[in-house]
Amino acid sequence: MIDFLQLTAAGLSQGSVYALLAVGLIATYTVRHVVNIAQGDYATLAGLGSISLVTAGLPLPVAILIALVSVTLASVLIERLVISRVKNLTTLVSIILTLGVSTLLQAIMLLIWGAEGRRLPAFPGSDLNLGGVSIRSQELWMLGALVVVGGGVLLFYEKTRWGKALRASAEQPVAARIVGISPAVASVIAFAIAGFVGAAAGVVSSPIYLSIWSGGLLLGLKGFVAAVLGGLVSFRAAIVGALLLGIIESYVAGYVASGWKDAVAFFILIIVLIIRPAGLVLRPNAVRV
Amino acid sequence: MHRAARRLLVPAAVAASIALALAGCTTSNFGGEEGGGDGATEDGPIKIGAVLDITGVGANLGVPEQNTLNMLAEQVNADGGINGREVELIIKDNQSTEDGAARATTQLIENDDVDLIIGASRTGPSLAMRPLVEAAQVPTISVAANAAIVDGSEWVFKTAQNDLVVLERILDDAEAKGYTKIALARDATGFGEGIADIITELGEERGITLTATEAFEPSATDFTAQMTNLRSADADAVIIWGITPSAGLAQAAFVQIGVNKPVYQSHGVANDAFFEAAGPAAEGVIAPMGRLLVADQLPADDPQKEVIDQFIADYTEEFGSSPSSFAGHAYDAFKIGVAAIEEAGTDPEALRDAIEATSDFVGISGVFTMTPDNHSGLTADALIMAIAEGGRWTLNEE
Amino acid sequence: MSYLNKAATRSKSGFWPNNRGTIIGVAVLAVIILIVPFTANSSMMNIAVFSLIFALPAIGLSLLMGLAGQVSLGQAAFFAIGAYTHAILLQKFEMPGPVAAVGGVVAAMLAALLVGLPMLRLRGHYLALATLGLGFIVMIAVREWEFTGRTTGIYGYGRPEVFGIPIDNNGLFFWFVAPFVLIGLVLALNLTRSRAGRALSAVNDSELAAESLGVNTYALRVKVFTLSAGFAGLGGVFYAYQVQIVSPQVAEFHVSVEILLMVVIGGLGSVWGAIAGAFIVELLSEGLRDLIPAIIPGATGEVQLIGYGLVLILVILLLPGGLYQVVLTARAAIVRAWRRRSESADASAAAPPDGTADTGAGEVPTRAFGGLPGEARGDGGLGSDALGGGVGGGVEGAVPALPAVATPVAAGEPILEVRGLTKRYGGVVAVDDVSFAVPAGRIMGLIGPNGAGKTTCFNMITGAIAPTTGTVTFLGEEIQGRKPHVGAERGLTRTFQNLQVFSSTDVVGNVYMGRYRKGRAGILRGMLGLQGREQYRHEAIARDILDSMRLGEFAELAAGDLPFGRQRMMEVCRALAAEPALLLLDEPMAGLSGQEREMLAALLRRLRDAGLTIVLVEHDVAQVMALADSVAVLDDGVLIAHGDPETVRNDPAVIVAYLGTDAEEAEAELKELEEQA
Repeated sequence: MIDFLQLTAAGLSQGSVYALLAVGLIATYTVRHVVNIAQGDYATLAGLGSISLVTAGLPLPVAILIALVSVTLASVLIERLVISRVKNLTTLVSIILTLGVSTLLQAIMLLIWGAEGRRLPAFPGSDLNLGGVSIRSQELWMLGALVVVGGGVLLFYEKTRWGKALRASAEQPVAARIVGISPAVASVIAFAIAGFVGAAAGVVSSPIYLSIWSGGLLLGLKGFVAAVLGGLVSFRAAIVGALLLGIIESYVAGYVASGWKDAVAFFILIIVLIIRPAGLVLRPNAVRV
Repeated sequence: MHRAARRLLVPAAVAASIALALAGCTTSNFGGEEGGGDGATEDGPIKIGAVLDITGVGANLGVPEQNTLNMLAEQVNADGGINGREVELIIKDNQSTEDGAARATTQLIENDDVDLIIGASRTGPSLAMRPLVEAAQVPTISVAANAAIVDGSEWVFKTAQNDLVVLERILDDAEAKGYTKIALARDATGFGEGIADIITELGEERGITLTATEAFEPSATDFTAQMTNLRSADADAVIIWGITPSAGLAQAAFVQIGVNKPVYQSHGVANDAFFEAAGPAAEGVIAPMGRLLVADQLPADDPQKEVIDQFIADYTEEFGSSPSSFAGHAYDAFKIGVAAIEEAGTDPEALRDAIEATSDFVGISGVFTMTPDNHSGLTADALIMAIAEGGRWTLNEE
Repeated sequence: MSYLNKAATRSKSGFWPNNRGTIIGVAVLAVIILIVPFTANSSMMNIAVFSLIFALPAIGLSLLMGLAGQVSLGQAAFFAIGAYTHAILLQKFEMPGPVAAVGGVVAAMLAALLVGLPMLRLRGHYLALATLGLGFIVMIAVREWEFTGRTTGIYGYGRPEVFGIPIDNNGLFFWFVAPFVLIGLVLALNLTRSRAGRALSAVNDSELAAESLGVNTYALRVKVFTLSAGFAGLGGVFYAYQVQIVSPQVAEFHVSVEILLMVVIGGLGSVWGAIAGAFIVELLSEGLRDLIPAIIPGATGEVQLIGYGLVLILVILLLPGGLYQVVLTARAAIVRAWRRRSESADASAAAPPDGTADTGAGEVPTRAFGGLPGEARGDGGLGSDALGGGVGGGVEGAVPALPAVATPVAAGEPILEVRGLTKRYGGVVAVDDVSFAVPAGRIMGLIGPNGAGKTTCFNMITGAIAPTTGTVTFLGEEIQGRKPHVGAERGLTRTFQNLQVFSSTDVVGNVYMGRYRKGRAGILRGMLGLQGREQYRHEAIARDILDSMRLGEFAELAAGDLPFGRQRMMEVCRALAAEPALLLLDEPMAGLSGQEREMLAALLRRLRDAGLTIVLVEHDVAQVMALADSVAVLDDGVLIAHGDPETVRNDPAVIVAYLGTDAEEAEAELKELEEQA
């Protein structure tokens, strides 16, 4: 039982990283119908960047703040320089295009930070032991980041005028225009959100999972699997899906074989796509033509 | 008109191409030698190829190995080469992959026509190279551990201590401490394959049983699941068998999850990078390894002390940090190879025979005595037991 | 030569490419391959060998992307399956090389078939992501499975031998692979011009229209996906031979990205481009591995990725058609320049100026996949080029020959029966419990005000949408809820209210697609080039039909360039080319000139007299009343009247619901609406 709880706890904290990335993916998908393969690389970039800043002598909170802001700007820059340059951007083309962006980002990180994984110093706090289940303080930071950042994005989209208009802008550009958001601005905001949540996921997870140049792709794809569980539109369903994915991965690693852990997400992806491409919560839209 | 012109086009193209072909004919792509055959290259530079895990999961091994080889090649050339012939060192990165190793080896053999190959850093890539160098009959000295690399080999040697003797030392120690049940977390690659079987086999005569086995990828960063399983395993002690950084990260998770059992690690953590990865969790870990990392604690009469001290001094001067055991494996491979070339020249068979005749060679990892049946050359004496104390390896007095 | 799809190749059938440009291209490539081992230095030779090996999966992916319009991000999975199977058969079962190689290809194809059957029901980006997931699963599976040698992989099998000569150096190995690449190239080129290839190309233009002509999109996609995996598997076989070890790295995502990059650089859907792309990517990879560490000291590892990323972004942003687009643009410019020159000079000495660019000439390019920006399309210059070759239409005034029709049931017997047909969208009922029967050899009109559910009804009958409840029985068989090609195969064809033109081909190419259900040649025959005669016959029929509708002179024009009314007529021709038993026309008169309307009406009457059954939805009520033998009226999804025109015209319900009190006024309003549309 203790093992079970231990694995669940580990899965939840891993899932919180996927959840943040899924939030970023949905943000860009709902506004732009872009599946951003580079989403996970934002996390690595923020992780490695903050590590360098800490090594340079900056205090941890300052380093993290700078990393969050820079990665958010980087994401906006990518939107302006690459994504917005394509007319009639279909989702399929966006995948190939952001695959290029992801590959480029990874190579740049490899050249700057080298091939080895690095880790940010752990955030303040002491590890807990709850009846035999040991929980690292960093894991609480990760869940906390999900609650604060993920919850913040959720509130923005569901409670503010801008947020609501933004959500609608993909399907109804007119609705967005009414509150004064042009499609271009909507796209920039979406990418800024994606950059910010990606970076947040990267810095909180770096002390445990390390930041390595090539690590973002897989993280981002798992975030995507979670987003698909939410039909690529529902933040709440995606967050729940992400936490579930983390837990299932943890069980597979613990009870089946650790090597298969990374395959879990893709089995889920393929099965969900085939059975319920509209996601687990929404009613599938049966209309063809 | 179109047709007539096009009909002319084909022969024209063919003629042009053939003219082009004759202009620069070469047979080197068909296995021919541009500078003459093997026997005729006795006066050219001696080509030593190396295939190392310079990037990827084995970078902690490959980089110091690369440094060492570069340094030694420079030293040899500064001293006038081998028998007056310059040493040309060609180092290739296999990116810690098996097929990268195979591709690099093929290039070394086919394009660079090397006389001797050193590598690879880890077991998997070394196994991938083995059939290639055996077929091409190129003497090769691996710097990886698993005994399978040289098991029954004709052309492949190795300088790292066999996993078998390492495990013997660990299990001897465990027996002495009265442990009867051992749990294992091993590297999922070639380095860790077969380890469970060896422990079971060696444990039998010592009254030790293996009660749980977990595996981890060398690229893994999260070890919660494996350590959770080890925590509930019925064992007196745990062996973590891997290389840095993964073995160090596993060690950190081991302590964080609260497994609370004594830990043995392998000679794959015989470097300072282990302490970076494991942090304070490293304290008290016991690992068998060569004498290099505890050189300052060796008695003055240790036969290896002089060689090791010299190597540490040279390496530290050149690279500003002290060498790891892996640097030592590369040192031994290079020195054994060079000694054999001095003796026998670059004729492949003569060179191989000369390496096989290596006897009482005092190296960094131990004293080597090779034979046609023993391409590893080290005994259990090559190992000492070290304990992690205060962020470095300390000789564990028994 | 236009790079619009020509309707059919007009030369003899045969395996070898029947297009001069292709012959020259293949010959030049063969010569280059012959001499490369003599001239290349050793590192170039290495690049050349891996280019050939990776050209195979790239050709496969090019077919998948260009023909089937599907993107796979998991091509490395099939590459790996081929390599692993080959290595395992050699090493563990000690099979002879050729057997093991066939095993590798078959295993890759089988795997593709198994995963393709469910996955190809997915669309566009979902398939891309599912294949990406598949790549990871395969990589992890071979890494974790004892049988595949876990992380170390399979090694220790020998080099191939040909007639006792061991292929143990790069030069020989290059020649060992080359014939397979050349044959693969020719097969792929043949496929792009075959019946199946054209059908897939049509699917990319309009899936609905293609399916309504009998194209089983799903089955074709599964086949191309499987074929594409076969190419990848063959590449894997050679990779296993060359590298002498197969380890999980062959299945890694970066390999899939590399293959994708090759196709994107070469030009989406261009088979030649895939080969050029393979060479460029390998060259780029090797070059950058040397260059980057020279520029940035201390750079190690997979530094070539920076080039991959940059090139991928730049090609998509600036050159979405890839190299193929460059070649075409260059050639078009040369042709134009040449034409200007030869027009001013004496035209009799004209010779083709495009010798060097001709490597790409033999290919009927499959188009860039859906929605790619700036994709290759016929621009004005090339369009007019094609127009020049047009053949004159039928003789003015003569009554044109009537297209063949099918009469599977006797006149008057019911050919189509609709029972209780209902469609609900959420709470809205678009069509409510509609039942009627259509007797064979008659024209039935279906009328009703806007939004009455006419087109929805049509879509349910033809399979474009599935009814909520109700049955559609065509020729005694229930076809409701089945895809459009099911009905089409049995002789039910249609036209569309919103035109569904195959814009990547010319007019005769569109009509040729109507012959799809009459053709037999499958993918295999297509690849082997054994269908030229069949294609020629169908093309001739297509031209006859165009002539009969006085469209013969536009046969070579890009379909999208036709005026609206003629596009509509072309769609009718396309539907008639299928020799249907039942023709459903959705507002065929809309946008036609008065003369065209009369011609169409006359044609429909003659077709009816020849035994064809016709159902038409029409706004032009007067036309319907004049033309139809019976008329059904829909209002708000409900069938309110059904009978002969006279009865319906006088039906009070119809007058109230549809025609209003003043029929003429209502009609005028309708016309106004139409014109606005």
